[in-house]
Amino acid sequence: MSATQPDNANKSPAHKSLARDAGAPPAGLRVDGVALVRGGRLVQNALSLAMVAGEVTLLRGPNGSGKSTLLRTIAGRLPAAAGAIECDVPVLYIGHADGLSPALTGRQNLADWAMLNGLANDDVAIDAALDRMQARPFADLPVRRLSHGQRRRVALARLTLGPSSALWLLDEPNSGLDAASSIALDDLISDHLEGGGMVLAATHLPLGITHSPRTLVLEDMA
Amino acid sequence: MSPFEVQLRRDLRLGWAGRGDMAVMLGFFLIILTLVPLAVGPDAAFLQPIAVPMIWIAAMLSSLAGFTRIFNEDVRCGWVDQVALSPLPLPLYVIAKAATHWVIGAVPMLLATPLMALMLYMDTSHLPALLLALVLGTAALTLLGVIGAALTEGARGGGGLMAVLVLPLAMPVLIFGALASAPADGGIVTPHLMLLGAVLAVLLAVAPFIAAAALSETESESGA
Repeated sequence: MSATQPDNANKSPAHKSLARDAGAPPAGLRVDGVALVRGGRLVQNALSLAMVAGEVTLLRGPNGSGKSTLLRTIAGRLPAAAGAIECDVPVLYIGHADGLSPALTGRQNLADWAMLNGLANDDVAIDAALDRMQARPFADLPVRRLSHGQRRRVALARLTLGPSSALWLLDEPNSGLDAASSIALDDLISDHLEGGGMVLAATHLPLGITHSPRTLVLEDMA
Repeated sequence: MSPFEVQLRRDLRLGWAGRGDMAVMLGFFLIILTLVPLAVGPDAAFLQPIAVPMIWIAAMLSSLAGFTRIFNEDVRCGWVDQVALSPLPLPLYVIAKAATHWVIGAVPMLLATPLMALMLYMDTSHLPALLLALVLGTAALTLLGVIGAALTEGARGGGGLMAVLVLPLAMPVLIFGALASAPADGGIVTPHLMLLGAVLAVLLAVAPFIAAAALSETESESGA
């Protein structure tokens, strides 16, 4: 129940399949000549991207240009059709789906996730995480009774529980968020970058973060 | 608490929260068996020889009714994504899912079986053998269901596809199970029971890996 293996997080989310050369120098994230195929159609070819600690990259591009597919591929949930992906920091992924079971409360979902990853999961840690996204007032309701934006806030609260060196893969993180929560998310991202973390986010909405982001535009290949 | 225990506890909680779904499985089991005397007539001479086979068929069909739910919610809400990124290996996640599904789905069915056996005029001296065979058989069916559920996850009309996929594979379970449930000489541990155990052992060894492979690249809801 307790955070007895804080180190676990560092080996954990990392890529069992993607950590191809563990001996390489720490370089954050390296995406090298990756081709993405979705639904039997090539959506991106020879995509390259490198990120180091403290950097933020925004993915832009029209619908269907492979932004989500790229994030899922880096998270190890889809295979790259070609090329190599190396990442030597823990990865936290928040996709379109929030990763919250509707039948359980937000607090249970968060605590289970933290325990699964060997992270701090006591009430104090969970409350602090929820407070960052102002999600505490509805954290004890079953997730199915929350609105889209409220679920998103609980899901995003997960980010603060992870290790500070982590790479955050965020797919439309601020969709459905109200103004106050969007600012809370901006602060969350700014603090994470300040602490040496990395953020790769696909978003159509502007982020008001303190660090100037690089932008990777994915062209439509259709 | 190890990641496996965390997942196991989570699944028990989810199972309890979704107990209505599981009650449907039990209800299906009871209704199928209640229909038999209505169709065949309440004559012991007709019912007794088909009691064991009917209990097995009812157990198979009602198990099938619950399989689509095993991974559905976890895939849709994105929990499987989070598990895949966690230290918990997917095969262990599958084992946790299968174990809780068996406890919540099959155990109530096993508890209701003696009553159903009485209703069908089954020879009560066979009851221990039937229950033991059903324990092994429902466990094997659950593991087949786990494979079917993982493979058809995300497929349109997954439920019907799964029945076509799982039921043929379940034939050895049905054959050995039914034979082991009515031993001729009264002994409980028959060669048929051992063969049923062998089927279960093979499934225990392969099902978690097949299901995990199928889940390793599933899509969550609207994951475009």
